Amino acid sequence: MKTPWEWFRRWRGRESEWQDELDTHLAMRAERNRAEGIPANEAHLAARRQFGNRLRTLEDVRSVHVGKWLDDFLQDVRLALRAFRKSPTVAVVAIVTIAIGVGASTAIFGVVDPLLFRSLPYPHDDQLVSIGYFGPVDNNEFNVVSSYLDWRRRQGVFQGLTSMRPGAQCDLLAGQTPSRVTCYFVEANFLSVLGIAPALGHDFTREDDQPHAPPVVLLSFPLWRNGFGGDPRIIGQSVIVDDQPVRVIGVLPKGFEMPQAGLPDLLMPEQLDATRPRAANSSSFLRTFARLRVGVSIEQARARMLPLFEQTVQLDVPKELRSEVRFVVRSLRDRQIHEVKLASWMLFGAVLALLLLVCANVANLLLARAAARRREMAVRAAIGAGRGRLIRQTLTESLVLALTGGLAGCGFAWGLMRALVAMAPEGLLRVERTGLDRRVLLFALAASIVGALLFGMAPALERPRAESLAGARVAGASRTLSRRMLVAAQVAISLVLLTGAFLFLRSFWKLRSEPLGFEPEHVVTASFTLRPQHRPAGAQSAFFHQLETRLQSIPGGGFFALSDSIPPRGSQGRPYSNLRIAGHPPVAADGGMVEFRWVTPGYFRAMGIPIVAGRPFEEGERASGESPVILSATLARRLFGSENPIGQQIDLDAAGRWRPIVGVAADTRNNGLTETDPEYYRLRMANLSPQLGAVALFRTSLPPAALAHWIREEVAQVDPSLPVTIDTLEQRVDRFREQPRFVAALVALFAGFGVLLAAVGLYGVLSFLVAQQTQEIGVRMALGARPRDIAAHIQAYAGMWTAVGVATGVVCSLAVTRIVKGLLFGVTPDDPWSLIAAVAVLTLTAAIAAWIPSRRAARVDPMVALRYE
Amino acid sequence: MEMKRSDHLQNTLELLILKSLQHRPNHGFGIATHVQQASEGLLRVEEGSLYPALHRMEKEKLIKGEWRTTENGRKARLYALTAAGRKRLEHAVSNWTSTVKGVRKLLRFA
Repeated sequence: MKTPWEWFRRWRGRESEWQDELDTHLAMRAERNRAEGIPANEAHLAARRQFGNRLRTLEDVRSVHVGKWLDDFLQDVRLALRAFRKSPTVAVVAIVTIAIGVGASTAIFGVVDPLLFRSLPYPHDDQLVSIGYFGPVDNNEFNVVSSYLDWRRRQGVFQGLTSMRPGAQCDLLAGQTPSRVTCYFVEANFLSVLGIAPALGHDFTREDDQPHAPPVVLLSFPLWRNGFGGDPRIIGQSVIVDDQPVRVIGVLPKGFEMPQAGLPDLLMPEQLDATRPRAANSSSFLRTFARLRVGVSIEQARARMLPLFEQTVQLDVPKELRSEVRFVVRSLRDRQIHEVKLASWMLFGAVLALLLLVCANVANLLLARAAARRREMAVRAAIGAGRGRLIRQTLTESLVLALTGGLAGCGFAWGLMRALVAMAPEGLLRVERTGLDRRVLLFALAASIVGALLFGMAPALERPRAESLAGARVAGASRTLSRRMLVAAQVAISLVLLTGAFLFLRSFWKLRSEPLGFEPEHVVTASFTLRPQHRPAGAQSAFFHQLETRLQSIPGGGFFALSDSIPPRGSQGRPYSNLRIAGHPPVAADGGMVEFRWVTPGYFRAMGIPIVAGRPFEEGERASGESPVILSATLARRLFGSENPIGQQIDLDAAGRWRPIVGVAADTRNNGLTETDPEYYRLRMANLSPQLGAVALFRTSLPPAALAHWIREEVAQVDPSLPVTIDTLEQRVDRFREQPRFVAALVALFAGFGVLLAAVGLYGVLSFLVAQQTQEIGVRMALGARPRDIAAHIQAYAGMWTAVGVATGVVCSLAVTRIVKGLLFGVTPDDPWSLIAAVAVLTLTAAIAAWIPSRRAARVDPMVALRYE
Repeated sequence: MEMKRSDHLQNTLELLILKSLQHRPNHGFGIATHVQQASEGLLRVEEGSLYPALHRMEKEKLIKGEWRTTENGRKARLYALTAAGRKRLEHAVSNWTSTVKGVRKLLRFA
């Protein structure tokens, strides 16, 4: 693209060329003067005298080149402004409409740009891929150490392959202040594969990454800045991480981001140990990333890696899971945004549709005005304005409108963006980076200019006709046809938007109204994750025991329970195929995953999950070592059909350890409220606490704030440095509804704008038609037509074009909404109710928009109409 | 034929330039001296005013300018007539001649 600067430079080049030309002249004249005997020192002065004013000449030359173009342009702008002053309503309506269109699309562009278009913060980011196993355990591809070591040794297709462990919290002690920070453990080549170099100090070496090497660490830029005062002397010094002294070797560059979009505080070598037994390494998880060689596509890389994958899957993946594990290579961008990609594209599409509607509306407005100005144009054509000149003038008018509207739109976009960021669900990727920066402003400019071309074209191509000079009303059938088609197109586009909005609203409503399977009201939750010093099994159990006793005794705490996780978040999954029932044939091998939670006996009571058969766990069982199991209704049905599961023996891990099934609990919604996965519960034994994280539940009538105070106090008694997060269960559930609500609200907003624009468009066209046909209506009335007939005529006319639009819109809706299937819950894209509701709203709006002008037509006084003109 | 400005002086200058370039391309200075010499000193163009005219005529595609090295080794912008320029010259010459003829007859008649 040619920047204004380049343009300016070229202009400067031409300017200096003109100067050179004049200077050559002066030099030649001076030479001639010398040859004619004028002394050398005077020859030049004489030349200048003979030449006249050099600057003035230069200016004249310049005006030859600039003058006409600029003059014409300024004249056009002046004419445009004068025209707007003459009909300010049209100008204001157009500018406001454009401001809405440009503003909304710019705001959405600002939100989706970092997701969809902006490059990731790594050089040649298009070469980076995420690679690994993909199975029902995780939403993203993962790897295990043993497979990764094989891949790394034997792959020949990538420029580099690197790995990291999932992020963890760790304790940093620098000086006297302890803090809890995010740590990542990565391979030595991690930064170099990403193409990143430390801002300060040096990268990890291979030696740092050997097992048992002296520990070293890279600090993140914000941590270095805020925690260490940005002091470069920190390099080489030691800090304490998880009670171990670690040497600081460097600082990461500003804005560094992990490839899965996490923000690290500390980066340390992961020190994979190839000498460990394969079984140990195959249960150790990694994320793996690679850089493609130049010219190698993702598909090619995948094909080349597939044989390796097939070998390691045999070695490292348990047999019963193999059929469910796939090999995935995908671009880093896809890995990062796959959950929001569809939503982002859809919002962007919706907002472009809105922009299109705006263009159609403004085109309509301008066409109406052009019709009124036909005489002016005809006069200008008659006195010699060329057709090109007239088109240019009309386009200049559109441009002035569009740029004014665009400027106002930027202000609107700024406000809308702030609102969006405030409204956005927590964790919406990179939403905090949304702002009016250069790219976003360029988009606004481009949207305005493209808009101006789109809506300016229609009136610009209006050919001035000589007949218009006579003041006669030229019907211009083709012109009104194009306006009617514009209206039909508007109706169609708004119908698509409206159908989408209804789909999302219905989906959201279903999500809200679907029973959760538990009662989130009056439940307060407190979650915490144990610190590493509690890791030894004994210390951990003792800790939980102490905590449980204290929390349980909080006065007014109500029903209390402890669990390792609670819905709607998923739990740790286990393969369904691992389940065995005593005396039954083995279960199907490809049953997916089963949710699994460790709970204390009070769990079902505290969560409000009904026990539908058998009994809940009992406190007495916790010491017995019996380890009973409770199934969810779905799982019970799947395992036993109509048989009674109570009293049966179940083996959970295909390990030959049989446990009794004591009860069946009602289903609950897991995994972001959309699914009721099969699930089983195990009793959390008094002396065994297998998880580091835990959630305490209180079903209580105490106000949450009061309870929170007590909880914190009790936890602090056990471990004053243990951070606790306290929420109500309703807050937790709501968090999962935020994203669908966000999307539904936005689409509904755009659809609202869309319907409004379509109504304005229809109203405009009809009012104009009525005004044009006043005379004809008068004649009809004089001949005996009743006002009712006239109104019916206008309404039938509106009805016809609305119907054309609705029909087109229905077809388009059916095609377009299919794309958003993945974003809907409990509603199919061809949901008839959404479509019917959309058609109804639109038809009603159209009827209202048509009613006002038809009434006006019915009130036409034949005498006045016939005398008119 | 339509003309941008029917300014008499403008047309005269244009005619002088076109005529000076009829046989060979020349630079601004060359045109100025040619006009002076060929008219034996009767006509003299103000050298500065020559250039805006040259540029305008180039914009109208009557002449075409190009930087070249002259015989005495200096770089200069040389102008040459285009086909349109030749046509315009023909037209301007006949126009001028008839004007002069008419004016002369009128003067004689008095």
